[in-house]
Amino acid sequence: MAATQDRAADGPIAIDGIAPVGTPQLRWASRASTIDGIERELARIWAEPKLTTEVDGVEVRNIAARTSVMNLVVIAQQSEDGEHGAAIISQLTGRHPSRTMILSAADPDGPGWLDARITAQCILPRADAPEICAEMIYITAGGDTGRHLAAIVEPLLIHDLPVTVWWPGEARLESQQARDVLASADRLVVDGSAWRGDGLARLRELARVATTTRTAVSDFALARQSRWREAIASTFDMPEFLPYLRSLRRVAVTYGTHDDSGLPGGTNLVKPLYHVAWLASRLGLTVIKPLAAVPGAPPPARPGVKPSPGRGYSATLRQGNADIAVVVRPVLSSTPAGTTLRVELLCERRGSELRVDVTAEAESVGVRAWQDGVEILDRRFNAARRTEADLLAEAIEAGGRDQVSDDAVRMAALIAAAA
Amino acid sequence: MTAKDAPRTIRELREAQGGKRKPKEPKSANPLRQGLRLERVPDPCVVVLFGATGDLAHRKVLPALYQLRRTNLLPHEFMLVAVGRRPYEQDVFRQEIAASLANYSRVPVDPAIVDEFVARIVYHQGDFTDPESFDRLSAMLDAIDLEHGTRGNRLFYLATQPSSFAEVVGQLGRVGLDHEVHGAGWRRVVIEKPFGHDLDSATRLNREVGKVFREKQVYRIDHYLGKETVRNLMVFRFGNGIFEPLWNRRYVDHVQITVAESIGVESRGAFYEETGASRDFLQNHLMQLLSLVAMEPPAAFEADALRDEKVKVLRAIAPMSPEEVRRDVVRGQYGPGWVAAKHVQGYRSEPEVDPESETETYVAARFTIDDWRWAGVPFYVRSGKRLPKRASEIAIQFKQVPHRLFRDTAAEPEPNLLALRIQPDEGILLRFSAKVPGLGIDVRNVNMDFTYGSAFSVDSPEAYETLILDALLGDASLFTRADEVEEAWAIVTPILDAWIDSPAPAFPNYEAGSWGPAEADELMARDGRRWRRI
Repeated sequence: MAATQDRAADGPIAIDGIAPVGTPQLRWASRASTIDGIERELARIWAEPKLTTEVDGVEVRNIAARTSVMNLVVIAQQSEDGEHGAAIISQLTGRHPSRTMILSAADPDGPGWLDARITAQCILPRADAPEICAEMIYITAGGDTGRHLAAIVEPLLIHDLPVTVWWPGEARLESQQARDVLASADRLVVDGSAWRGDGLARLRELARVATTTRTAVSDFALARQSRWREAIASTFDMPEFLPYLRSLRRVAVTYGTHDDSGLPGGTNLVKPLYHVAWLASRLGLTVIKPLAAVPGAPPPARPGVKPSPGRGYSATLRQGNADIAVVVRPVLSSTPAGTTLRVELLCERRGSELRVDVTAEAESVGVRAWQDGVEILDRRFNAARRTEADLLAEAIEAGGRDQVSDDAVRMAALIAAAA
Repeated sequence: MTAKDAPRTIRELREAQGGKRKPKEPKSANPLRQGLRLERVPDPCVVVLFGATGDLAHRKVLPALYQLRRTNLLPHEFMLVAVGRRPYEQDVFRQEIAASLANYSRVPVDPAIVDEFVARIVYHQGDFTDPESFDRLSAMLDAIDLEHGTRGNRLFYLATQPSSFAEVVGQLGRVGLDHEVHGAGWRRVVIEKPFGHDLDSATRLNREVGKVFREKQVYRIDHYLGKETVRNLMVFRFGNGIFEPLWNRRYVDHVQITVAESIGVESRGAFYEETGASRDFLQNHLMQLLSLVAMEPPAAFEADALRDEKVKVLRAIAPMSPEEVRRDVVRGQYGPGWVAAKHVQGYRSEPEVDPESETETYVAARFTIDDWRWAGVPFYVRSGKRLPKRASEIAIQFKQVPHRLFRDTAAEPEPNLLALRIQPDEGILLRFSAKVPGLGIDVRNVNMDFTYGSAFSVDSPEAYETLILDALLGDASLFTRADEVEEAWAIVTPILDAWIDSPAPAFPNYEAGSWGPAEADELMARDGRRWRRI
């Protein structure tokens, strides 16, 4: 790494007053252009005895606690990814104070360089609580330096604290750079629904990380669906419907697309596929035929049904000796592409049929069920769609490996094997 | 593996496979529940709330049920029958509950969810002594089962005056509402504290309850057990490898348990006159905390294993003789003073309180646990009203180092201390010695402080939410068992008896806003110790 002279550092930020409870406030900002310089600045933040807030010339509150419960490394491909990530992490300062490094690479063919902005964000979690401050370091690296992100991250990690790598956007997990960074990571956080194309190749890479490394994985795309899972599971809490779970015959997932060409690969399939994978992994199903595009013209439009631009995808799973048909079907919709619109289950047991239909809106999830054609259930659960800050907080709080999530990711990769 | 060392028995085979046999999942388990917020949701049910118009119901029970409903933790088929003496129109009662939720809910209420919640409430007017009222209740519950699919599952919640417990339970038994028929629903009863007012009355009440309900149907609430830090105490002790080896007479000098309140008796003067600090706090909260701190590791984290260990601790505390009570127990009553920069009146001037009252508003005691682990380690407990602040904590004071190596330090280093803060600012503090930076060797105490609020800033559930959900799920781990209640009374009753036979101190003997009577400090000073400054 090129060792250039550090630029003049700044330091404490003069502020006019304490921010309201829960609002992060920038209290320190300085710059450095070497790892040593960054470390010096980090030490300077907490060694600064006068890091006290003055309001109208009166000291009102000390920065009482330097708090870190983890190291959070954000790999930002684009500068806007970094800014977006920083905004979300700022919301979590009071909840999960971390040493955060936001890394982005620039000018890969130029000479090696590094530019870091070191900041301290402080927040009052409650009116009667001490202020909590955490460090956020924005690092941009050029040339060779930017190709060796692990060499930047490693020396700046707080020892003995868990390391979470959040990779918003396209996570190039197959790259050597990713392998190096993930070598010291306890958890990798991605959003599979933000991947380009159908997202299935990246999903298989994610499953590889989950299977072959010690890094736990969290995918926002899967975590977002917990309200769907709660709703589906609730149907089978009723003892009389539980036996039907052992006789699943068909799973159909309808998702929204903006692509009217009907060609495979145009819309991200990660979220619809996770519904199938979660059911398959929990019920111990095996994959007979992986997901494949169904050839042919789109089905004819029917009154009252949203038009489908293609026949979608199909797969076959097996439960005991019985096959389960999987259908993943697109419909043109104004919702974000790849959003699940409906999950339908069909179970057949001893001549009796149970049909379950789950849909979701911004604030709720609805479940309807029919037994032998008679409606037996119509429920609506209050369950708001969760924000990225909620999802990141949940990923961080998860601690160790989440077996259910790991199983679903691996199963999704198996189902997507040939797609 | 060669044929020679191949497993020969089932046990060897299991050991060779590297662990215990996987417990068989019950047939009724829903495999889709794994990994969700609740691995199991409560069965469809009706909660029958006796004392529904009272303070406890409005402040605690109903907001807890609302919060469980709001977060989808109640079953979809859920109804609440509110039983009270006063006449109410259904709609008026529902409106009153909606207004009360707006006051007491710990989160801002959502009007749509409140509407949905109160629509599930049915008010039932009836006197607890009136058999006809229970006949009507029984018929009403059958009708609710049919209409709302609640399947005969019923949780009877007794948020009434303690004097009504036996009456209500007896009436429930008379109309058969205690009967659990296989496949036709469960029946459980939640009983609030205080459970009895001495050993005899607690034993009698247990007997009355036991005539109707089996012990596994009975859930005696001590809401302290639902608090996050109290639950964490077990995780802290048995989920960490480093503390348990030190948790004994070899390393622990003494234990201090404090439950301090800054409030007075508020509007509960009449109730408090009958109970006092010993019945209100010592017999339940303090004894529960003491037994959780001192118990041996249970074989499993399940209700009876846990409660067996707690009972063993209580049995190892010998009842005090009158002489020991005089020596090891201090009672106090607050006089006027200043709390939180406000002047407050003394206990004897509180509403509904006898101006000559001899009821204690403060109690401190020194207990010893006669078992292998704790022999010779005193447990000091104290609780009182109108103390300087609201604070509850358990402090484990470790022994001083055996040899003082750093003799020339400016201050005498204090021994290590582990403080488990229960409220407010739930957390854990470890005090240890460290060298002051500089050329010489100067040793000071520093604190390593873990605060729940900064490590996990997700909201902890209210104790009542945890406990009600557990009762609906049939998990009695955090509820007290009949023998546990009686063992605690067996410790406290001799103290109360000794007080009856000896004159009360010159009450009031502590000023509101102080840390209690001087005798409590002397209790510690006699052993060369002092109360922690909290």
